[in-house]
Amino acid sequence: MGRIVLNNVTKSFGETQVIPSLDLTIEDGEFAVFVGPSGCGKSTLLRMIAGLEELTSGHIEIDGDDVTQVPPSKRGLAMVFQSYALYPHMTVRKNIAFPLRMEGRDQSQINKKVEAAARSLNLTDYLDRKPAALSGGQRQRVAIGRAIVRNPSAFLFDEPLSNLDAALRVGMRLEISEMHKSMKTTMIYVTHDQVEAMTMADKIVVLQAGVIEQVGTPLELYHTPGNVFVAGFIGSPKMNIFSGSEAEKLGAHTAGVRPEHIDIDLSDGTWKGTVGVAEHLGSDTFVHVHDTVLGDLVTVRVAGDVAVKHGDTIYLTPQMDKIHKFDERGLRV
Amino acid sequence: MAIVSANSNISRYGRPVLAWGVALLFFFPIFWMVLTSFKTDADAVKPEFLIWFKPTLDNYLNLTENYDYWRFATNSVITSVCATLFTLVVGVPAAYAMAFNPSRATKDILMWMLSTKMLPAAAVLYPMIFLAKGIGLYDTHVLVITVVSLINLPIAIWMLFTYFKEIPKDIIEAGKMDGVSTWGEVKEILIPLAWGGIASTALIIFIFCWNEAYWTVRLTTIDAATLSKLIEGNRAPEGLFFGRLSAVSTAAVGPIVVLGWFCQKQLVQGLTFGAVK
Amino acid sequence: MTNRSLPRLLQAPAVLLLLVWMLVPLSITLYFSFIRYVLNSMRRPEWTKPALSNWRGFGNYEFVLNNKDFILAIQNSLLIVCSILILTVIFGVLIAVLINKTFMGRGVVRVLLISPFFVMPAVNAVLWINMILDPVLGLQGLAVAGINEVIDGLRTFPILGGFFSMWPELEPISFRATQTSAYAVITMVTWQWTPFAVLIFMTSLQSEDQQQKEAAVLDGAGTWSQFRFLTLPHLARPIAIVVMIQAIFHLSLYAEIEIVSRGNGNKNLPYLIGEFANNNIGAASATGIFAVILANIVAIFLLRMIGKTLMD
Repeated sequence: MGRIVLNNVTKSFGETQVIPSLDLTIEDGEFAVFVGPSGCGKSTLLRMIAGLEELTSGHIEIDGDDVTQVPPSKRGLAMVFQSYALYPHMTVRKNIAFPLRMEGRDQSQINKKVEAAARSLNLTDYLDRKPAALSGGQRQRVAIGRAIVRNPSAFLFDEPLSNLDAALRVGMRLEISEMHKSMKTTMIYVTHDQVEAMTMADKIVVLQAGVIEQVGTPLELYHTPGNVFVAGFIGSPKMNIFSGSEAEKLGAHTAGVRPEHIDIDLSDGTWKGTVGVAEHLGSDTFVHVHDTVLGDLVTVRVAGDVAVKHGDTIYLTPQMDKIHKFDERGLRV
Repeated sequence: MAIVSANSNISRYGRPVLAWGVALLFFFPIFWMVLTSFKTDADAVKPEFLIWFKPTLDNYLNLTENYDYWRFATNSVITSVCATLFTLVVGVPAAYAMAFNPSRATKDILMWMLSTKMLPAAAVLYPMIFLAKGIGLYDTHVLVITVVSLINLPIAIWMLFTYFKEIPKDIIEAGKMDGVSTWGEVKEILIPLAWGGIASTALIIFIFCWNEAYWTVRLTTIDAATLSKLIEGNRAPEGLFFGRLSAVSTAAVGPIVVLGWFCQKQLVQGLTFGAVK
Repeated sequence: MTNRSLPRLLQAPAVLLLLVWMLVPLSITLYFSFIRYVLNSMRRPEWTKPALSNWRGFGNYEFVLNNKDFILAIQNSLLIVCSILILTVIFGVLIAVLINKTFMGRGVVRVLLISPFFVMPAVNAVLWINMILDPVLGLQGLAVAGINEVIDGLRTFPILGGFFSMWPELEPISFRATQTSAYAVITMVTWQWTPFAVLIFMTSLQSEDQQQKEAAVLDGAGTWSQFRFLTLPHLARPIAIVVMIQAIFHLSLYAEIEIVSRGNGNKNLPYLIGEFANNNIGAASATGIFAVILANIVAIFLLRMIGKTLMD
């Protein structure tokens, strides 16, 4: 019921190969997030699973059946698009009912399901409106409703929250997570926002240039990133990554330490530097430090408020057990 | 959004005055024509009756007598309606295919279609007459309708293409995910969304067909002759028939001008092939 | 997964029809241009049927090129088309800018301005040449007569009279004459197509970046500067489109030429072809081929422009 396997999948657009051979398994009921920078192929991968893009080679299996040649609507999947892709000329009711109509269900069944979906998504009052009369968040819900009524074996989400404003985004994030907990259906979610990835996923798939950099739970990726790219991608603010003499001292070609794993002191420490900008959030302070022996700007996260200002001299000491080391190929040591 | 600028009285009143002046100037010939159509032929050329005159409906009432108007008008209607329909029947599928299943050749095909419109009609005049007479289709509705629709087919396809392209791709994809068949896609999604575009295209093509004045004149003598031919035949009124000439002219262009008032936006979009929004 | 052949099938009728429409008559024209073919001939009756035996090679082309009317016709074609293009663009831009801001009755103004475009070319020509420009009976004639009367009257005034008596009597212009009929055609077609240009430019102006304008005003740009550095570049593409579309239509101007002057000294290529076609089909066809070549030259430029700017 929703176990998806990608086997040796490649994708080329004309001459350009965007996804070299890729293997991936998503277990039934998992919330898998594809994350990565723009152009890494995450949307393409999702669309290939949906059936909206053809594979150049390889297989896709859903619950053991090879669906590589099967058209999108017959794969038992449902997709929520970034732009919601609602039918502008149909009411909310008709939008949600549409897939059921295409399946050929009878009207009373359709009505029941549509109303149930509307109830669970708080859309009952809007059933007779057209998409143009809805807010972004409401449209998002209609799109989700349209997907739910199909009772799919997996939901596919293509950056669904990018078009919402910040406050709405946090709320919808929770709702989607709740939905997953109660429905227990497989969900594949594409985003470029690593905070969404970290908070929602059972399993994160980090992609770059069509290649899977690492697959793991959020905390696995946080504590043990497999290479420099993943180390720098996961975690906000970004991990401080440095090479050169300081890295060699630690026995690595490249090393990194997260901002939250550096202690500061005004008089003593491993690395000396000058405070550039200090961002005071109240709950945390982000101190950006120049002129250290590490070369680039170093960011330190300190809990609570700390009295540093621009120009102060400051000493940084990394927590030794939290330092990540990488070899010349960028792989974890 | 107010732009801070020197909004002197000159610019505030000057603009509308000037604009109205230009507009009235442009509209004047049409106004003059309509006005003259209500004058008797004799009055029409007397300077003292320029503005104040005794209006008469005679010119309109005698349209048939003077010019056999209704026969020509009927032909214009038949030609324009049928040509528009034919253009749509051929053009809609083509535009659909090009918009939703574009291939590498699509752009070239569109360009080429546009280039067929650049063919100077006069260059193929005689062969067409030769062919028409040879097949026995000279002065028939079939021939005129076919030619007029082929002339406007490139424009129709361009317009339809741009309208189809405006339908967001992901709505089509959502349809695919929801299990819509090809015919269902057309019926449930495309037609409702593109309906306005198709109607606008039809309007514009109708106007072009109606105003077409080259082939409709040269490929016809009597049976299929349209209003264009009627007017052209009366180009130099021997004697002073301005009154009735104005009436028949007004009757020839009136409907179209009014139609045109209603579809300005579509006109722009169609004629600039959607490039100017 | 997508059915490859269905799209092809759907495009096929349109493509085939246009292909036939383009190739068949054109090849016949080509054929006719290389043979002797006339409609009536007493001396050489064999020339009245098109036949390969009447092959003339490039003879027709030579004949046409040497015909004094031919060069004139090309010049005339170009003169008329270029004048119309220039005038419509200039007027179009000015008027579009004029009506760009809201004012009372703007909707009606727009409607009035657009009307000329929908008038049938034949009516356009008949209306102008008879009712407006006719030297005796048209408005022009009446206006000139009126002005003459006024001046006559002014001549009797004590001091000013002397001044006015030096003014010659105004002659109304006959626009059917050789030199002037081209101007009549230019006038009437400009009248008809300026609204088109206005519409296009007006629509384009509505998508002007207001924030950019505000920034310019803050930078101290006056009205003229704004026009020159912001508005005109924004209109560059629509101007190109207007020029291009009009060129397509005006190179084959026929009705107006025919009606205005019956070609009396004012012929353009299409008219010349029609004239030849009264008897000498061979020559008409050769001229036709020349017209096609001319059109193609223009078309190549224009299509390149349109292809660049339009395809997304």
